[in-house]
Amino acid sequence: MRVAMIGWEYPPFQTGGLAVHCYELTHALAAKGVKVDFYMPRTDSDITTQDHNIRIIPVAHAKFGAYVTKHAYGPEFFSNVHAFNNDAAEQIAKNDRHVHYNLIHHHDWMTAFAAMKAKYSIDRPMVSTFHSIEFDRSGMWPNEYILNIEKQMAATADRVITVSNYMKGRLVEKLGADIAKIRVVYNAIDAADFKKHWDVSHGKERIILFLGRLTDQKGPTQFLHAAKLVLDKERNIRFVIVGTGDMLGYLINLAISLGIGDRVTFIGYLPDEQKRYVYAKSDVYVMPSVSEPFGITALEAMASGTPVLVSKTSGAAEVTPHRLTVDFWDINQMAEKMVALLRYKVLSETLGKEELHDALELTWDKIAEETMRVYEEIAVG
Amino acid sequence: MMPSICIYFQVHQPVRLRRFSIFEQRQPENLFERYFDVKLNREVFNKVADKCYLPTNSLLLELIKKYGEKFKISYSLTGTFLEQATQYRPEVLDSFHALAETGSVDFLNETYYHSLSSLFEDKTEFVEQVRKHSEELKERFGVEADVFRNTEALFSNDIARLAEEFGYKGIIGEGHERVLGWRSPNYVYSVKGCKKIKALLRNYKLSDDVSYRFSAQWWSEFPLTADKYAKWLASSQGQCINLFMDYETFGEHQWKETGIFEFLRQFPEEAMKYGNLNFRTPDDVIREQQPVGEIDVPYALSWADIERDASAWLGNAMQRECFSLLQSLETPVREARDEEMLHIWRLLQNSDHLYYLCTKSWADGDVHKYFSPFPSPYDGFINLMNILQDFKKQVERA
Repeated sequence: MRVAMIGWEYPPFQTGGLAVHCYELTHALAAKGVKVDFYMPRTDSDITTQDHNIRIIPVAHAKFGAYVTKHAYGPEFFSNVHAFNNDAAEQIAKNDRHVHYNLIHHHDWMTAFAAMKAKYSIDRPMVSTFHSIEFDRSGMWPNEYILNIEKQMAATADRVITVSNYMKGRLVEKLGADIAKIRVVYNAIDAADFKKHWDVSHGKERIILFLGRLTDQKGPTQFLHAAKLVLDKERNIRFVIVGTGDMLGYLINLAISLGIGDRVTFIGYLPDEQKRYVYAKSDVYVMPSVSEPFGITALEAMASGTPVLVSKTSGAAEVTPHRLTVDFWDINQMAEKMVALLRYKVLSETLGKEELHDALELTWDKIAEETMRVYEEIAVG
Repeated sequence: MMPSICIYFQVHQPVRLRRFSIFEQRQPENLFERYFDVKLNREVFNKVADKCYLPTNSLLLELIKKYGEKFKISYSLTGTFLEQATQYRPEVLDSFHALAETGSVDFLNETYYHSLSSLFEDKTEFVEQVRKHSEELKERFGVEADVFRNTEALFSNDIARLAEEFGYKGIIGEGHERVLGWRSPNYVYSVKGCKKIKALLRNYKLSDDVSYRFSAQWWSEFPLTADKYAKWLASSQGQCINLFMDYETFGEHQWKETGIFEFLRQFPEEAMKYGNLNFRTPDDVIREQQPVGEIDVPYALSWADIERDASAWLGNAMQRECFSLLQSLETPVREARDEEMLHIWRLLQNSDHLYYLCTKSWADGDVHKYFSPFPSPYDGFINLMNILQDFKKQVERA
């Protein structure tokens, strides 16, 4: 099987989680004998791979990165996206004459045009993976233009992959996608990366961790309000906030005005290795996101053996039954469950152990296998 | 040999817990209202009364009147059921009285609070709960039971020996292969280490055909009709076919629409077509039959889940932690010499509270999920533990 895959970032060029996903997925597929040509925007440095089943094919030089806020979408941004898509589609059609692709697989709206154009020009099935939708990134005020691309992409694809059942529901509800062609394939992590911190000792001061971009979508405000309630009941707790974002200043002020400034530590950005240490060192991981297509951080915490409390509106809540869930707006419940995890050792130990077990099951090998099953449903000879 | 059909229905409603939050602004001072959800319990009781208790009782009364002494059944009514019936729906009690007066209905004894007190290290509490139940039955229905059924049919040599010491002549157990091996549950057995007590073991296959599989479309015998079922019973060998099931099977677990009531209505007549079948209560069987062999049950056996042991209530560390906390409260609760507190502590021992914390995730998980008011066993644990911790504080303060 040979797949033309289109993405917009790949390590070492990365601005978000998609690069890691594409890297791991292509390699896991390659290990199963799938040949993957990975089309992506040309970058300043060369991206190479050792795997003979994978070819990285850079096309039009496009200067665009992660969409963090809607302010990032200038007119130039969209024309760059278009240029890249056009070029990618032409390259795919050209290469197909030599190698013959069985299908086209692309990630998120930024590569949708290339996939749709190639689908029609070489008449091959198309698989679209939605890692998130515009509604998850911008909440109440989606960019209409992007929203329309997402609708088209869902309508045109022969199979749609979402990273959770939660997302599957949102695609049907928000984009009018046909539920019959949606398949759920979760994200994975490489658990080996987390192993060395499993035995890290916990201090007397217990740690409740928030890790993520500091934007409304991730729920840091609720986290601090819940922290305030917890501190009314429990002593010797530290609330650690890892990550940066627009709301940093606001959150620091909020912590101070709640009178818990001395109990909240803002760490800022952390490189992967230190992040893994912090996960393991923490007693509770909280992910209070308003809407989280998957929530890879929760899976990382699980792989660290740290019990997680995640919002009901997240994909991560599905990957194991051994977690606590909460409505993202319910501060009382959030605090209640944080306190329970701190007070009842038998609860946090049970959750930690069972979650770790489930996180280890979720390997990239398994993800590749499930992806191939989707391919096999539609691939042409 | 003519096998007797021996029917016993378990009638139980737990007193369900309230969602207890440590962040509540005002918590009720009254301990009962503080921990138990009066509104929910009333709702559930009334719902089950309408769907099951009242229609099933009236149908059975009709059948008993029709067939006289030829059709016999028995019940075990828990103390928490009786209390809630009194409080929320007295007519349900009246209908049980009407059944009791026919003379064709027997009652069994169990722990008043449907508790796991038989597994406490100190058996004082177990003894008291059994006594309380027996006094309650005597007072309400004027009956003295000869047969004991422990909570969820929890059974072991030790429990049987205790029941024998209490004066019971018979005890209910699960007729599982783990105990019987190749032997049939359709006989009366003696119990290792006991002198005279006779064990009546549930024929779980034939019982579950009704209580569990009646409406199961995946089942090759679906639909189950009364004449087919009677034929199966008539072709069985042994002294007694013990059909023991939750009473809520009728109308609640198996909805009216499944035809379960029509089945029940036709069943006695279909069974009576066979000259080799008759109906007997557990008391009758114990009186009439002699044991054919001995069973040896060193570890607790129950009728729950695939394992048929105590793991549905004590299978994980969270359940054991709650159970041991409950147990550790015995001395301080007794020392407080406060009747209300003692009653609350006992209501908290209700095995259902621990059942909701079960994490066994395979086939059985579905059943636990169906009965649980909590989204997950972990939420169940947090609620129960918060309540137990709060109660502990109240006890220490007293």
